[in-house]
Amino acid sequence: MATRVVSVWRPRPMQQSWGRTAWAVVTGMWVTNRHFVRNLLGFIIRKPTTFTVQFPEQRLEFPNAFRGMPVLVQMDNGKERCVACGLCEWACPTDCITIFPAETADEIERYPEVFDINLSRCMFCGLCEEACPEEAIVMSQNVEVAVYSRRGTIWHKEDLLVPVSQLGKRLQHLHRGYDR
Amino acid sequence: MLLPVAIDNGIHIPHYCWHPKLSIDGSCRMCQVEIEGNPKLAIACNTPIRDGMVVRTTTPAVQKARRGVLELLLVNHPLDCPICDKAGECLLQDYSFNFGSRQGRSREPRRKLQKRKDIGPRMILDQERCILCRRCVRFCREITGTFELAVFNMGDRSVLDILEDKPLANDYSICTADICPVGALESKEFHHRLRVWFLKKTPSVCPSCSNGCNITVDHYRERVWRLMPRRNDAVNQCWMCDHGRLNFAHVNSPDRLRRPLVRRNGRLETCEWDEAFATAATHLRRVAHATQGCGIGAVASPHLTNEEHFRFWQLLKVLSVPNVDVAVRTGSDDRFLIKAEKAANARGARDIGLRPGSEGVGLPAMLDAAASGSISVLYVCGPDLWETADRDLLGKAMERLEYLIVQDVFRSPLAERAHLVLPSLTWAEKIGTFTNHAGRVQQLQRAFAPLNGQPSDGEIFTRLLMQLSEGRWTFEPESILEEIAATVPAYAGLSYAGVGTQGVALAEGSAGATS
Repeated sequence: MATRVVSVWRPRPMQQSWGRTAWAVVTGMWVTNRHFVRNLLGFIIRKPTTFTVQFPEQRLEFPNAFRGMPVLVQMDNGKERCVACGLCEWACPTDCITIFPAETADEIERYPEVFDINLSRCMFCGLCEEACPEEAIVMSQNVEVAVYSRRGTIWHKEDLLVPVSQLGKRLQHLHRGYDR
Repeated sequence: MLLPVAIDNGIHIPHYCWHPKLSIDGSCRMCQVEIEGNPKLAIACNTPIRDGMVVRTTTPAVQKARRGVLELLLVNHPLDCPICDKAGECLLQDYSFNFGSRQGRSREPRRKLQKRKDIGPRMILDQERCILCRRCVRFCREITGTFELAVFNMGDRSVLDILEDKPLANDYSICTADICPVGALESKEFHHRLRVWFLKKTPSVCPSCSNGCNITVDHYRERVWRLMPRRNDAVNQCWMCDHGRLNFAHVNSPDRLRRPLVRRNGRLETCEWDEAFATAATHLRRVAHATQGCGIGAVASPHLTNEEHFRFWQLLKVLSVPNVDVAVRTGSDDRFLIKAEKAANARGARDIGLRPGSEGVGLPAMLDAAASGSISVLYVCGPDLWETADRDLLGKAMERLEYLIVQDVFRSPLAERAHLVLPSLTWAEKIGTFTNHAGRVQQLQRAFAPLNGQPSDGEIFTRLLMQLSEGRWTFEPESILEEIAATVPAYAGLSYAGVGTQGVALAEGSAGATS
């Protein structure tokens, strides 16, 4: 098979020069300083022109579709909605949920004796919420889960329970999802 | 009949009330099929098969009939799936998903019946979930002959229940939970324990008596959660006894021995494996040299596999020990599955040659000899000696013994008197073969690996052989079964491939003879 030589056009690489370098530094610094001065003036006259949240003092309100850490819904009688069916444990891609079921004399005969979420493994994907047949585990707005020890990353049932009254918006959001 | 023939040929026809080992009931109407020449649909379970029959199982008429049956079953079936133990292996779930319609049309409330009814020492009944297939009723009538369960009332008011004064307490009661297609009958032991989709299934053999029922070990996270019978028409059909099914707590027990114990200054202390092997080998070698093996007595465990028995036999041969026997605990038996010998592999031990030789003595005599001082080292495997032997005699023997080696799963009373305790493994962690009372060799598979790579009994014997004799020894069950086949005449030609999942029977009348 005959080979053929083809010439290809390529742009020449830019020539390095001190002049170009200096010009790039000047334009870059001009943009930075422009923002700095504008923010400084805005701060002084109390009319900030930029979007900066002063975190510990100020907090954002997240949209209802936001997925923070998963929590357990606590019914009005103080018990969990969860019946320990294990579907979230099965759906969890990171295996961060551990459930040990047990039996009670209540009408709902089954409850989780142990419900642990290892938040160092949880990736806030929301598949547990999607799998739950009882709307018992939902994604909350809480993302502040930093702890001092590894043991503290495991949240137990008592830590995870949140009263249903505080989760109304998320539950509404879920119900809207069913209608679609 | 049509249904079993179809199933044997790989054509699945959905069914509830039909079971291969029970009589035909024809009550569920789920297996309806279209047969050419018949004006109406017919149930496959009760239609005799004939030459030239043309059967269709997926026509629109059949599908409509199935959908109708499922809709009627679901009219009263509660939506308990999230808390039902059967969810995941429930035939009603599976068939509704595959053949049912997604929407129910019923507006009536579901009928209220008794849930969580205590019907026996090992079983509970949920009457709402029952679909009235009557499998359990026929089981109690035909297999156990105890007639505990019955369907009361008629038509829409039909309800499964026990007779008032007769709890479901027969020895095979949990089998009704296996054959229940829904979660109406549940075993108390597995109730609310684990969702079935987490379980991994390993085919194995029940270790609780010499019948050797075929089972699957359902395990998850290095724990056994339940044992289920596995069909083997030559041994246990589809059933197993309650005692065997519930006898697995020792596998999960946190009290199990994990490291060898050696007696120092009168107390048992944990030691390294190497030290344990070296100590055992020293004592065995010394006494074997001094007495030509006659000063050693060996008690084999009937719970070990054939391969392990063979290594033990080789070990005793190297030491030229003539005094060897198997201690087996015996109990009650029935004429069905429960056998008197409460250990899986006593027959295998005797076949391989773990019985008193021509110049050796058997069990009670061995303890006599130990009490009189002519046997100074005893090597005891398994817990059965403590449970079967005369305690006085055993106590006297323990006092006179120079060295006692005990190999057991737990720190048993006998182990407390030992000079060296070697922890052994349970059947769930082993690969090997068992020979049942009728001489059927069946295969055990490892459900999960032992904790910390703890050696099996066979590996312990092999390590001792390495200490006591020349040559390279390894413990690989496949090649040891080949060695057994070459050494024991009755086991000639055996291999793991030949044993398979259903086991293989030894030649009739052959009690293995090794010299």
